[in-house]
Amino acid sequence: MATAMAPPVPVPLPRHGRVFPAFALIGWRWISRNPAATVAPILLPFIFLYFLKLISPPGLFPLEIIGAMLFTTQNIGNWVLGDSAYWRLESSLQDLFIVSPLGKVGYLFGIAVSNMIAALPAYVVLGLLLASVVHVPWVAWIALAGSVGLLWILFSAIGIAISSRLRSQREIWPVGNLLFTSLGMLSPLYLPIWLLPHAWQSVAYFLPGTYAAVIVQSSVGLLPAGVSIGFGSLLDAGLLAVTAVVGTALAVRLYRWQER
Amino acid sequence: MNLEAPLPTVARSRWTGLGAFIGTELRVQLHEVLSIATSIIVQAVFLVFVAVLARQYLSYTLIGAVVFSTFQIGQRVQNEAAWIRIDHKLHEMYHASPMTPEAYFLGMSVGVLLAYCAPIFVLFAAAAYFVGLTLPVALVLLAVLGGEFVFTASVGYMISTWFKNMRSIWPYSTLFFNFFSVLPPVFYPLWLFPPALQPVALILPTSGGTALVEHAAGILPLSAEWIALAAGSLVVGASLAFVGAVYWARRISRER
Repeated sequence: MATAMAPPVPVPLPRHGRVFPAFALIGWRWISRNPAATVAPILLPFIFLYFLKLISPPGLFPLEIIGAMLFTTQNIGNWVLGDSAYWRLESSLQDLFIVSPLGKVGYLFGIAVSNMIAALPAYVVLGLLLASVVHVPWVAWIALAGSVGLLWILFSAIGIAISSRLRSQREIWPVGNLLFTSLGMLSPLYLPIWLLPHAWQSVAYFLPGTYAAVIVQSSVGLLPAGVSIGFGSLLDAGLLAVTAVVGTALAVRLYRWQER
Repeated sequence: MNLEAPLPTVARSRWTGLGAFIGTELRVQLHEVLSIATSIIVQAVFLVFVAVLARQYLSYTLIGAVVFSTFQIGQRVQNEAAWIRIDHKLHEMYHASPMTPEAYFLGMSVGVLLAYCAPIFVLFAAAAYFVGLTLPVALVLLAVLGGEFVFTASVGYMISTWFKNMRSIWPYSTLFFNFFSVLPPVFYPLWLFPPALQPVALILPTSGGTALVEHAAGILPLSAEWIALAAGSLVVGASLAFVGAVYWARRISRER
């Protein structure tokens, strides 16, 4: 006997989850389960710092610590690239996220948060080191936090955008290394910009990392007498914000969320 | 047709398949042009630091960059061996072929070395130009690079067999290779290292080998005892690692 089937009643699904805490938990579980994973990602900035401490004049050490903090931030983009590529190519997890209520911008920020957790120990150590070698006014801490925040969003967006174009896991390391280490060096994060050749300085002023370094170095008071860098605090901050917003918008546009 | 008849045994020497696998691995690696090109980035960063801030150490950093580039071959071997075994599952197929396990290990290592020798040549040429390497010094450098390669490829291959997924390997290998090749005095002179730890640095194949080349080039004075310590450690370390890798390759040629 045929019976009329009642149309299924749509069950209201939650559209808002606790995305960031969930991704933060992923970041925490990764480093808490794997002690080497806590150290390895932050190793490169510390290695550069160690090397510079040995070879450069002691007066530059505070500047180099700030450089290590900013380089760590740029490197988060590299980790975001690695994670999102691994999850998409190896674990096929991205498909799961696509069919969930999570949008691509939420996914981007989620991975960025997850990787920020892994970077926090480095910030704590470097922050304590900085405070122990030079007096850092509270304005400088704010400038540092703001610069780190903007670079974090920008480079995470770049990382995830690039990752969506990779076709094999084997591309992750060389592409990430080329992009993030090179950008980290072209912006003179570890080096005083006033010591660089003019051609390099000109190129560096096109990169957001340079403004972040200039802003923090100036606010901590690390510039030698008679040296002026950047275009003034407000304009530098504006240029950093503009390059970060434009770069993030471009990266999000380039970012391929669904496979075609 | 008698299906019960035993299969004909294939006569094979200890290194059967070595040449073929070197060629295979070289071709595989040469597809990774970007990876080969970017393998010089860290060395370039150190050179830039020194050129801007402490030009007096440029000779040390150049020699160290050549040694570091060779040492990094071990990390490539480790990644490749893990990749073949874990991701492609080709390891079993290779070991079911007439190729011996030791030919598999050495073929892979030499193939990777040949593919990645371009950055080493570039840095070698830069060191020869800036440091002014004479023929005897160049020969010392080549001998040291030989020892580095044997040590690092052997260790890299052994490490690759200890992990069950690619994601776990990366942090440990990063720690291992960086602690061996960047923290000790490879890119900077031995005397900047804490004096009490300098003998330890000479025992490590990377910093010990670098010190030997720098001594031969006349930019690092070393006593006869320290030369013997560095050279002996490099020879013994490379020999033990190679024997260990051959033994290990035979032992783990089948997954259990």
